[in-house]
Amino acid sequence: MEIEIPIKKWSGKIRAVTIGTEKNGITIGGEDTLPFHHFEGSIPNKPIIAFEVQDIYPSDWLDVVKEPYGEYLKNPIEWAKAAVVKYNADMVCLNLLSTHPDRENRSADEAAELVKNIISEIDVPLIIKGPGSSEKQNQVLNKCGEAGAGKRCIIASAVEDNYKTITAACQAYGHIVVAETPIDVNLAKQLNILISDMNFPPGRIIIDPLTGGLGYGLEYTYSVMERIRLQALGGDAMLQMPFICFVGQEVWRVKEVKVDESVEPLWGDMKKRGICWEAATAITLLLSGADILVMRHPEAINIVRKSVGRLMEK
Amino acid sequence: MSKIIASAAIRGAHKIFSRAETLLKETVKKNGESREVKFPGTAYYLPVVYALTGKKVERLCDMYEPLNQAKSLLPKIPSENLWLPYLGDALDAGIATLIAEEIIEALKFVNGNEPINGIWLGPTTDAVLREQGIKLVDGRMPGFAACVGAPKTKEEAVKLTRDLQERNILVFMSSHTNGVSMAEQLAEEGIEMNWDTFLVPYGKDTSATVHALGFAVRAAMTFGGITPNGLKEAREILLYNKNRVHAFVLALGEVDDEKYATAAGAINFGFPVIADTDIPQILPTGICTYEHVVSNIPYNEMPSKAIEVRGLKIKITKIPIPVRCGPAFEGERVRKENLAVEFGGKYTTSFEYLISKGLDEVEDGKIEVVGPEIDDVEEKARLPLAIIIEIAGRKMQKDFESILERHIHTFLSQAMGVMHLGQRDINWIRIGKEAKNAGLKFKHLGILLRAKLLSEFPAIVDKVQVTLYTNEEDVKRLYPAAKSAYEERDKRMGELTDESVDTFYSCQLCQSYAPNHVCVITPERLGLCGAYNWIDGKAAYEISPHGANQPIKKGECLDSVKGKWKGVNDFVYERSNNTLPSFSAYSMMEDPMTSCGCFECIAGVLPGTKGIMIVDREYQEMTPSGMTFFNLAEFVGGGQQTPGFIGIGILYIVSKKFISADGGLKRVVWMTKNIKERLKDKLAERAKEIGEEDLLDKIADESVTTELEPLIEFLNNVNHPALKMEELF
Amino acid sequence: MALTGLEVFKLLPNTNCRECGFATCLAFAMRLAAKKIEAEECPYLSEEAKEILGASAVPPIRLVEIKSGDKSVKIGEELVMFRHEKKFFHQTAFSVCIDDSEDEREITEKLEKIKKINFERAGEILKLDLIAVKDTSGDKQKFCKTINLIKNFIDLPLILFSENPEIVTVGLEEIPDDKPLIYSANNENWEKMTELAKKYNASLAITAEDGLKGLSELSERIKNKGFENIVLNPKCRSLTEILTNYTLIRRLSLENNYRNLGYPIILYLENEDNFINSAVGICKYASIVVFNDVNDWEYLPLLTLRQNIFSDPQKPLQVEPGIYKVGEPDESSPVFVTTNFSLTYFIVSTEIEGAGFSGHLIITDAEGLSVLSAWSAGKFSGEIVGKFVINSGIENNISHRNIIIPGYVAVISGELEDSLPGWNVYVGPQEASDIPSYLKEVWSKEN
Ligand code: SF4
Ligand code: SF4
Repeated sequence: MEIEIPIKKWSGKIRAVTIGTEKNGITIGGEDTLPFHHFEGSIPNKPIIAFEVQDIYPSDWLDVVKEPYGEYLKNPIEWAKAAVVKYNADMVCLNLLSTHPDRENRSADEAAELVKNIISEIDVPLIIKGPGSSEKQNQVLNKCGEAGAGKRCIIASAVEDNYKTITAACQAYGHIVVAETPIDVNLAKQLNILISDMNFPPGRIIIDPLTGGLGYGLEYTYSVMERIRLQALGGDAMLQMPFICFVGQEVWRVKEVKVDESVEPLWGDMKKRGICWEAATAITLLLSGADILVMRHPEAINIVRKSVGRLMEK
Repeated sequence: MSKIIASAAIRGAHKIFSRAETLLKETVKKNGESREVKFPGTAYYLPVVYALTGKKVERLCDMYEPLNQAKSLLPKIPSENLWLPYLGDALDAGIATLIAEEIIEALKFVNGNEPINGIWLGPTTDAVLREQGIKLVDGRMPGFAACVGAPKTKEEAVKLTRDLQERNILVFMSSHTNGVSMAEQLAEEGIEMNWDTFLVPYGKDTSATVHALGFAVRAAMTFGGITPNGLKEAREILLYNKNRVHAFVLALGEVDDEKYATAAGAINFGFPVIADTDIPQILPTGICTYEHVVSNIPYNEMPSKAIEVRGLKIKITKIPIPVRCGPAFEGERVRKENLAVEFGGKYTTSFEYLISKGLDEVEDGKIEVVGPEIDDVEEKARLPLAIIIEIAGRKMQKDFESILERHIHTFLSQAMGVMHLGQRDINWIRIGKEAKNAGLKFKHLGILLRAKLLSEFPAIVDKVQVTLYTNEEDVKRLYPAAKSAYEERDKRMGELTDESVDTFYSCQLCQSYAPNHVCVITPERLGLCGAYNWIDGKAAYEISPHGANQPIKKGECLDSVKGKWKGVNDFVYERSNNTLPSFSAYSMMEDPMTSCGCFECIAGVLPGTKGIMIVDREYQEMTPSGMTFFNLAEFVGGGQQTPGFIGIGILYIVSKKFISADGGLKRVVWMTKNIKERLKDKLAERAKEIGEEDLLDKIADESVTTELEPLIEFLNNVNHPALKMEELF
Repeated sequence: MALTGLEVFKLLPNTNCRECGFATCLAFAMRLAAKKIEAEECPYLSEEAKEILGASAVPPIRLVEIKSGDKSVKIGEELVMFRHEKKFFHQTAFSVCIDDSEDEREITEKLEKIKKINFERAGEILKLDLIAVKDTSGDKQKFCKTINLIKNFIDLPLILFSENPEIVTVGLEEIPDDKPLIYSANNENWEKMTELAKKYNASLAITAEDGLKGLSELSERIKNKGFENIVLNPKCRSLTEILTNYTLIRRLSLENNYRNLGYPIILYLENEDNFINSAVGICKYASIVVFNDVNDWEYLPLLTLRQNIFSDPQKPLQVEPGIYKVGEPDESSPVFVTTNFSLTYFIVSTEIEGAGFSGHLIITDAEGLSVLSAWSAGKFSGEIVGKFVINSGIENNISHRNIIIPGYVAVISGELEDSLPGWNVYVGPQEASDIPSYLKEVWSKEN
């Protein structure tokens, strides 16, 4: 007896978004089916992994994560270069943590200067991530947007409280905006509508559903992404945006990657465990639709990159 | 449009146009056609010309085409006996004027009479535009005022400027009145003018006003992502300005033809004109959101009038009160030992009353204390209090009064050292000693309330005036009106019926964990969590149009008994992710409402009784259904339809529409004591209405039995009306 | 179509005799409709009712049970494609593979490890479920010996990993009271294997080369022999194929009611991509994952992933209420209080530690709700929290009387002070991520 393979065709399609310039542009999204369902739809672009680079020496990072980057960590430009040259990064995410008022409170101009320099030094597309603290976020992303004008960077993130400022900056300087909402389909949709209402093209919005790390809410992110994707493919234009997931920052601060095997012998080698923790989180998010993963450990990235390759085989 | 204005504007347009034409001719003669021309620091050529025509002017010869377009827009000067020129004509004249004016301003750079000169700053550069414009777009700056002409005196000029600055409004200045310009007035008073002080003098000629619009069009191009290319794009740019750039023109002093013409240009952008002189008014509404031209406004009222007419939303970032304020102080108590003053509780008459009024009847920002202030009374004094809040707003509705009023509690509690309990005329307010020592006055409560109302409800609140009465006499005098308003509101809520409205509201807040759940909130059926009624839904939608509460048009009635409408079905189907094709509002047996999990009570059938039982969340013991509340919750929740069971808000039980398709209240045979207690009076009233006065005694509760057989026996003994009804299923 | 509770109820005698253990037939009907119990538990069903219920109650994916003594692993009975629709029912069973060609010492070492894998997380114990015994040696005696070795050491249900019916036979004879899983039957050996499985009450995994078609044909043949405790082993050459086939099997059985594939799926991993493949398997419909080899450090992430994916989306994971130590608190360390929603607990404790602080974290019983939900449901009121704090005995462990409450419930601060005489209530930040700056900026300055 032949089996009739039940093929699902969806009416909706995820918007394809190109990040970067004509020279180095990378396109994500564009799929008209669920993640890696090659058997029933087309997935023209593979998910991308961005290396997280901080604008300041990451003294709070575990040695495990610092070690592969060594001395480069002392200079963000060198760090970014190492990510590209040594580890073949497709994309770099510059985390402007030091501008946070509770941290070094560096000025927006300083951050903008760094953005300019990084752009001139590396030739992969850039994600510019602000410090999150609302007033500072606006200043920093605005200035950095200006510094990167025309380079079609990803600017992270706009939230309900500041979306107008961030969107206007992305519009003025030709960038792509990340719309961040706290793990909720309807809130994600609402923010996308609000941003589009400002005359901003929906094709330049990326959804950050808010990432929970493995063991720390991953299942919530996983399900909300599945729901958003299903609704988007079902035809909801205001959810047909690609996803970005900030994986590294969530993973590398949890207890399970920090505790040494001398304390918890059953947990096994701490270094390898951490890498697995990051990789497992990333893989799970890929299965629910992540288009960009921002990660930290080169080995974890390598594992995930290989897996993306395997999942993209038809 | 007023004939006078239209005629004047058209006349002015002709004058300015021919000036531009002549000037261009002369300039070409002197410099040749291919002489370069540009404003400094912009990539948008002559921005207004570019935006409105799509033409990129880089040389003098590039000016011919736009100027010709302007010419073609110029209407004939209306003759004296034509008594109704078209609004469209005046508007076209306005556009022609702006094009001509920008050409005039640009030619100044070629002819060596630099517009950037002394106090005059000339056209804005792109860099400044991006920095400042973004604040207009994101609302940090509520808007800009293009001041044309000059107030009568220097003092008035200073006062007006301060008033605008205080509200964070960007001030552009141009033109003059009888040779006096506002910028010069300010300069004489030693006021610093530049982009840092938000005071920007463009130029002394009327034509310099065009730089304000050059600023506006570039905001649309930069932040609205619109690239000019002709008429369609020009329209988009104008519309963008109307919707997002909250600017207005202040016409100061006599308005001549050229100013009229320029003003007509501004009206195309949706920027209304507020004049101090007695010029003809153009009231609502066509191009501008509200009025077009309002006149005869005294200087001191100009900013607030402009805010009202242009619909500006002022952001209050820091509330000027001497104590800290924030959610962290919400639950804090002020204890007897620390008490400075208290109102209400059981000691004095105290009430809070929020009322909506017309825009003209409310003076925004007016905060008054009538009676003793905090320093006038001894420590631990008990005072009477009436807080009267008057609200005006274009989108304010009578129905929203109670919703806003309920927020008084949160707002006041958030001030450190202020305790607020209760609501309406049963409130209790205490102010602590430390707050008093920090300088807190009664007046600050008013300031706080106004600031909070404006910033939390910008969509519906435009103006707030607060009066606090602290003397017995006034409080007594005002109380009856408040009391009857409370009663009125309750009555209105009671009278609102599902039939009397054509729109219900949805709530989808709970979809975060019950993916297909949609609460349909009708006037006679509140959300099942008990937290949202129909008016809340309506207000929430006004406040946040893309939020969790959406209007549902009832549409065609499919079944008036069961409560089915086409519009509701379609809505529920779509919002339940295509899982629930049909919904009945008044039946728990057929396509009942889904339940998410936050229901206050669960109603469920009881086989063998022809009736139903209702259990509330607090009651954890067994029920006659053989299931506890939590057992039931497991089957009923999660966003599916479970015929025979519904999760409900407790107040729905006393609604006339309570399972009316299944027989209504008469079906209830068992109900927890909690519910009986909470709904006591209302239940009695409803029982009477349905002609079953002793129904309450016939409904069993846990003190009678929690088992089915004894319940049936009880029902037979009391002869419960459900027994005579048809089987439920 | 599934029947509603009331439709099921109408098929019951409505005598409320309680023999099923429930107070009413209605209560029984609701549970039956929710597929929480079996129809047979009511002894008074009419034949007609049984038939109707039988048809509606046959789960689209069959329940398969693998047992040893009182240890039982249930798989199958899944009802949805996506976990947000309804909880994924039976979590992926983890099995480690023991090779009978290895020497006793090696095997014992492996078993020791397996036995030790036992992590407590969010009120649940995470551990391995099954052991597969592989017949690499081809020697019946060795196979039996290995089985015995395992059985003596550890009491977990077994997978008999062999395609040789003779070896399987001796294996089954070794554990006659168990219900192991035989892995696996194929087109050659299926008749014998089916007989064996029937005879010994085992379940049977089936393997076919020809994709889903081959599997479907084989399962039909076996079913026609009157045997249905089947587990599918689709042969997949790539990760994409795993994802595709597993998704299609699930979809065919749930949405197309395709009975030949309405069985749980087993994923056997032998190559180096174990870790990633098993993560994919956990998310995408594998009911059993068998590892040839797992590294120590991979257990915790995989078991945690499984816990995440199989948690009930409507019923949050909870931690036991009580006092938890974060870091190494002493009597002067700060005291925090929050709800027992596991995510809240994890995130709060992570942030406190991340800030370089130690503290006493009091977790109240709020039925697993988050702070705001618990408060609005009346489970985190000042009075309740106060009582809990006093009963927790924390007062004996600390020298101060300061407690930090979540910023979202600032409203309870006054009430909490009332019910905690002598205590100072501090309102912490709303978001856990602000705890470090709160501790550094506010707390440290005041204490
Ligand atoms: S239960 Fe309440 S909060 Fe939830 S959806 Fe209904 S009305 Fe909204
Ligand atoms: S055993 Fe059957 S008849 Fe008796 S109560 Fe249970 S369901 Fe009803």
